[in-house]
Amino acid sequence: MKAIRKYGTVLKLSLQNAFVYRSNVIGGLLFYTLFIFVFFNLWRAIYQGGRVAGYSLTQMVWYLCITELVVFGCRSGVFGQMNEDVKSGSIAYQLNRPYHYVFYQFFTALGGMVFNLLVFGTMAIVLGMIMVGPIPGFRLQSLPFVLISGIMGMVLNFFILMALGLTAFRMEENFAFYLIYQKLVFMLGMFIPVEFLPGWLRDIARFLPFSYVAWAPARLAVAFSWELFIEVFPVQVLWAVIAFFIAMAMYRFGVSGIQAHGG
Amino acid sequence: MKRYKGIFRLIGLYFRVNLASAMEYRGSFLLQAFGMALSNGTFVFFWWIAFQQIGGRIGGYDFNDVMFIWAAASSAFGVSNILFANMNAITRLIVTGELDTFLLQPKDVLMNLLCARTSLSAWGDLAYGFVLMALTHGGDWQAWGMFLISIVIGGLLMTAVSVSAHTFTFYLGDASLIGGMALEFIINFCIYPEGIYRGFVRVLMLSVIPASFIVHIPLKLARSFNIWMLLLLFGVSAIYCFIAYRFFYRGLKRYESGNLIITRM
Amino acid sequence: MEAITVSGLNKVYRTRIKEEGLGASFKALIRPVYKQVQAVRDISFTINKGEILAFIGPNGAGKSTTIKMLTGILHPTSGTISVLGLNPVKERQKLSYHIGTVFGQKSQLWFHLPPTDSFALLGAIYDIEKDKLKKRVDELSELFEIGDLLQTPVRKMSLGQRIRCEVAASLLHEPDILFLDEPTIGLDVVVKQSIRELIMRMNREQGTTIFLTSHDAGDVEHVCRRAIVIDHGQIILDQPVKKLKYDYLNRKIIAVRFEVPQRLEVPEGVKLEKSGEMAARLSVDTRRCSIDEVMRWLIAQGGVADITVEDPPMEEIIASIFSHKEEGAAG
Repeated sequence: MKAIRKYGTVLKLSLQNAFVYRSNVIGGLLFYTLFIFVFFNLWRAIYQGGRVAGYSLTQMVWYLCITELVVFGCRSGVFGQMNEDVKSGSIAYQLNRPYHYVFYQFFTALGGMVFNLLVFGTMAIVLGMIMVGPIPGFRLQSLPFVLISGIMGMVLNFFILMALGLTAFRMEENFAFYLIYQKLVFMLGMFIPVEFLPGWLRDIARFLPFSYVAWAPARLAVAFSWELFIEVFPVQVLWAVIAFFIAMAMYRFGVSGIQAHGG
Repeated sequence: MKRYKGIFRLIGLYFRVNLASAMEYRGSFLLQAFGMALSNGTFVFFWWIAFQQIGGRIGGYDFNDVMFIWAAASSAFGVSNILFANMNAITRLIVTGELDTFLLQPKDVLMNLLCARTSLSAWGDLAYGFVLMALTHGGDWQAWGMFLISIVIGGLLMTAVSVSAHTFTFYLGDASLIGGMALEFIINFCIYPEGIYRGFVRVLMLSVIPASFIVHIPLKLARSFNIWMLLLLFGVSAIYCFIAYRFFYRGLKRYESGNLIITRM
Repeated sequence: MEAITVSGLNKVYRTRIKEEGLGASFKALIRPVYKQVQAVRDISFTINKGEILAFIGPNGAGKSTTIKMLTGILHPTSGTISVLGLNPVKERQKLSYHIGTVFGQKSQLWFHLPPTDSFALLGAIYDIEKDKLKKRVDELSELFEIGDLLQTPVRKMSLGQRIRCEVAASLLHEPDILFLDEPTIGLDVVVKQSIRELIMRMNREQGTTIFLTSHDAGDVEHVCRRAIVIDHGQIILDQPVKKLKYDYLNRKIIAVRFEVPQRLEVPEGVKLEKSGEMAARLSVDTRRCSIDEVMRWLIAQGGVADITVEDPPMEEIIASIFSHKEEGAAG
């Protein structure tokens, strides 16, 4: 129970903090709008020459609104934070605080992500409506499921980035990992829907976690079906749990190194 | 005129000195070059898939057309950041008062300021454009000619955009948001075919957002040369840079009258 | 021969007041509210070539504002300035070839580079021919004893070393006037003294006119021959330092702490400003007795644990100038 109160306060504080730094959000919203605007124009032009299997133009635009929401709108800066904490040694100082570092970071980031979800989510809906109108066949009942899929995608994203960030314990310069991960998410779902990829790539993507960050919730939003939900959501959860344990392990491993050798 | 005398000796020196100092951070340069190659590579991947699946033209462009504007945008960005990397620090210089150092020196303030720093990773952006051109346009001399011209003009235009954006700090106190975003904003319009946009946006791209002058018109010229269009390109770019230059100096006057401080109550 | 002439100089800052909150931000955009601050009020003075002048006053007195106007980076509200016969506002770039500046917090040296690179760049900026530049660098390195520092990146230097390089950099182009804004701020006693000596040497050997601002009374005492005291934007005193010293810089503050309780009966010329059982703060009139005498007397009391000797703070000196003027007493 203490844990709930402890991390609940952390969450609340981070929400308040996010509100204070609203100017960053304004910049973010501006770019988000720009991206969606550009993508709308792009795909409208693409659709004049053909179409993507399984997506109407309307669905395509909404798809992008949501993938951008999950990856760009709700980004948390956890990678940079890990690097900073490890390099500056402050991660060691947090050892004698009455909370667990990994959980603390998660709940701190969660506040920001929830705030961003509300703000950017609203923007996503507004832009989507303005550009192409409502998602055809969308039913309000599916919303909560889309939402938890989206949140799971963000959680997965968070813990992967956390694990990658914690490689700072062993590596001088780990930015390459961030870049590679980002690009994989980009290619396998964020910018290109998985259905648009050539067959062989689609099959590989199925077994990798990357498409479960953005493609999964976005696909569910534009073409919800129970079958799909049951197919992707457990996989999202599975990958999120794996990522969580990897992050935990990296943290334990790195920290025990500090405890043995000093900062 | 005395202001401009010796400016080339200065730029040359800045270049050499900055390069030497940046060479110390070689490792990070390779990393950034890698990251950039990766990032750009994913877009190439996208366009390859798109043209494969769709066929025909998208927004009036074919695959090589898209590669051209990518190469032009990337190399122009490289040119801009190699020569004038300090444009990104203008807001900081104003806010901290470090701008004074440049005011006290007997050289043109803006040029002196802009050239004082260089970006090593920008060489990666520059090189990327050349590589892309080599892979897609081989021995097409017309395309190469326009490419080379466009990266110089494009570089100047990108610099002009950044400078203008940062100049708002003179008026608003802290335009770091605008300054940082302006160029990224413009680049977003440079990397997609012109034809996907309609109406008002096209007008914007020929004025406030000079994306058309940075990449799209050069592409047109690369495909079918037209001396008048080329002259138009030069002319408009010169005007654009001139306006940015004057705007900066107007802002500088404000700085020199010391009325920038906005006290918060 | 006049180096700097200032007449009726005024500077009024008009700053926009912005209140907190989004509503206030909009209000400020449409109808801005301004606050006027007069930083410099009707200042006039003339400085001749070869003089060393200190412009002293407490924080916020208008020193930095004045020096900025003299060097052309700030425009005056009214009044005239002539530096080496040039108008700093209109002919700033022309003037910049003939003046050097050392502005405490702002560095002319590139932080990550060794001074040789910065010197080369400055040489290009000031259009100094390469051979002339080399000679000058050699000359200055010897003078400033920075010869072995030339290849060390500035970020690896101590503050004292950096300031020496900084001053050397400001003299590369053999300026006629050297402007220094708070050059010794933050430096320890030893470094301060070495910088002061360098400045005086430049003046002696190369005839450079020196204009420095400071709120350290020690700078005035040891470096300058003339001092202009400024407070709240106005000149309140313009005198040779000798006279200033005699009239106003004739006090030292001694703070002493004892190991055993002491009751002090102070000698002539010493005033007990504050005292406790084991500590005291004394004000010594150096016209009446020397520091040497007072220290000996203190030590003779026995059980001295700690002694500090300080100049009175600039604010006190200014205050005493004011009160002296009010009394109408001649120095």
